[in-house]
Amino acid sequence: MDTSGPAAFVNGEILKMFVGRRVRTVVQAQREEGGLLIGQSTDGHQLTIKGASGAPMSHYVEIIGIAEPNQAIRAEVCTDFGENFDPAPFNGLCKLANGQMKDLFL
Amino acid sequence: MAMARLTPNGVAAALAGDTNLKPVLQIVELRGVQVNGAGVTRGERFRAVVSDGTAASSALFAAQLSDHARSGALRRGSIVQLSEYVINEVGPRRIIVILNLEVLVSECEIIGNPTALSETGSPIPNPTRVEQFNGAPQYGLMAGNSSNTTTKPSDNVPLFQNSMAGNSSNFATRPSDKVPVFQPTVQPSYRPAPNYKNHGAIMKNEAPARIIPISALNPYQGRWAIKARVTAKGDIRRYHNAKGDGKVFSFDLLDSDGGEIRVTCFNALLDRFYEVVEVGKVYVVSRGNLRPAQKNYNHLNNEWEILLENGSTVDLCPDENSSIPTQRFDFRPINEIEDAQNNAILDIIGVVTSVNPCTTIQRKNGMETQKRTMNLKDMSGRSVEVTMWGDFCNREGSQLQGMVERGIFPVLAVKAGKVSDFSGKSVGTISSTQLFINPDSAEAHSLRQWFDSGGRDASTQSISRDITPGASRNEIRKTVAQIKDEGLGMGDKPDWITVKATVIFFKNESFFYTACPNMIGDRQCNKKVTKSTNGNWTCDKCDREFEECDYRYLLQFQIQDHSGTAWVTAFQEAGQELLGCSATELNALKEREDPRFADTMLNCLFQEYLLRLKVKEESYGDERKVKNTAVKVEKVDPSGESKFLLDLISKSSALH
Repeated sequence: MDTSGPAAFVNGEILKMFVGRRVRTVVQAQREEGGLLIGQSTDGHQLTIKGASGAPMSHYVEIIGIAEPNQAIRAEVCTDFGENFDPAPFNGLCKLANGQMKDLFL
Repeated sequence: MAMARLTPNGVAAALAGDTNLKPVLQIVELRGVQVNGAGVTRGERFRAVVSDGTAASSALFAAQLSDHARSGALRRGSIVQLSEYVINEVGPRRIIVILNLEVLVSECEIIGNPTALSETGSPIPNPTRVEQFNGAPQYGLMAGNSSNTTTKPSDNVPLFQNSMAGNSSNFATRPSDKVPVFQPTVQPSYRPAPNYKNHGAIMKNEAPARIIPISALNPYQGRWAIKARVTAKGDIRRYHNAKGDGKVFSFDLLDSDGGEIRVTCFNALLDRFYEVVEVGKVYVVSRGNLRPAQKNYNHLNNEWEILLENGSTVDLCPDENSSIPTQRFDFRPINEIEDAQNNAILDIIGVVTSVNPCTTIQRKNGMETQKRTMNLKDMSGRSVEVTMWGDFCNREGSQLQGMVERGIFPVLAVKAGKVSDFSGKSVGTISSTQLFINPDSAEAHSLRQWFDSGGRDASTQSISRDITPGASRNEIRKTVAQIKDEGLGMGDKPDWITVKATVIFFKNESFFYTACPNMIGDRQCNKKVTKSTNGNWTCDKCDREFEECDYRYLLQFQIQDHSGTAWVTAFQEAGQELLGCSATELNALKEREDPRFADTMLNCLFQEYLLRLKVKEESYGDERKVKNTAVKVEKVDPSGESKFLLDLISKSSALH
């Protein structure tokens, strides 16, 4: 397992604390604005994803990339999770991975 | 002087109805009788003749005094002070029923020459035998004898005069020849006086009975009245027994002294009183039979309950003030319920923090009933699940649910809830339970204050088993290894658990049995059928032959999770849930050697399932083996399972 570039599980709120670092999140694609994907994070924030155009609207998309200021991520890997995805457990995972259970995560 | 110890004229005064006299009397006769209450063996009770030196009367000791007599603390010759007693009319006769007494002198010679005083109009129906007189040497008149502790044999003078003719009092006994053990020389032979002409007609006392506290009620009072508020009223229950159909209802009374008692009436009396009785109103109840409380159904703090009879009256007191409380609670903090006995009846008060939706469940007798659960917490730092059954669900349950949904967390007082140890400890409603939403009481106000000033956020630990949101209620999640490690299925009842596990192996050579297709009512027989020589299938139970049989799953497979492996058996429904096709279809595929037969099983292999298992130890010959039967099989739903796990994490970390 490659642990050299770990991607932290984040939601919209936690994303702010990881600016400049690699993160992993899931957003629901809402619209595209000039090559930028606007998606809703699992905790209801609007995130701007760079380099992820072409994602099917209303699908859930996993983004791995570098966190930028102003709720933005420069995407490196995008994975379509489809429409059937429950955002609540992912949001719970983000909170645990950055809080109570932090020690268990890279 | 011995005579001075006894209360002069005590017997006559007591019989006349003076129950505050506390007379000092002597027991001149004592014998045990077997008393059988209705359906309940009441054990041995003691009858006596008590004397004040000149007059004597029959007396009966209350059950609680039997031990005194049995132990010998009370015996013939004892001088006692009656501290509590009532006068009971047995037919035309009056006897003293002694409820409490004090033994002043444990044994003493018979004082004086008492004559029986008993306001009778006919011979005593149950004659008093006097075995104690057998050969006892010390009968005699002790008048003039200053010592009452030394026994001085004197002439064998019978205690009672032989002939009482013309005397207003009498004593009856069996003729001596029927009691051969009696020695004729010492046996006092009373004969019933032939007639009692010198008595006027006994007038029935029609004056209203005096109102007494409920706590003073006992079965030996003929006439009584109590004044009490109805705290609960049961529904009409219909029953059927050997005597035919009947109906019964009961209500609970509370009086100003805090005494409680249940009143029950049947059939015609039900018709008479059912509409009269209203919860919260005050009534004077008079006359009725007292019988031992049936503690299975009656949780009130009273050893008796009242059975109304034809002469009973239940009269409304319209202008009753608040001297009688509307309800009496004995609230127990929730943390005490943890140690309470299963089926104990108790009162609790708490803040309703959540109310679950109403569900319909099927009872063992096939009837459907409503069920709804909610959570109550109190200042003890614990919360408990309260289960409402039947009408409570839609009545108080809906109201409570509405309040909680609007963000109002009401205080709820539960009167007479039943403790259950099904899933931790919980409290359920029974028919006589009462629920009070935001009651106006000191306890409720202090709870409200506590809740509003921080109690709302105080962490509480549930004494009921955790409920997983989204998952089925009462789901007890276990790992495969826990089945063995915790010895599940070894108890009297099977354990019902849920495991999340992967199917790793199917026994595919025999996965079904041949079942009887006969319909009995709306249910299929399903017993195993065997192929007879003519090619038909025979069912031993139905004693019939069928050309075609049904195929039902008897599927054995192995499951595994991170902790271990186990064998599981699935019958028809669970087998179909797992494999997605019927046993008949699968068998057809197998017989045709269709590759889809193998595929069906392969598709399920190494898939993860939530299996609801019934775990029970069963014997096969000499061998006892814990058998896991799948009753429900579901594919793991990632979303639901994730929520379950998140919940589990937050709960387990909250404990640390």
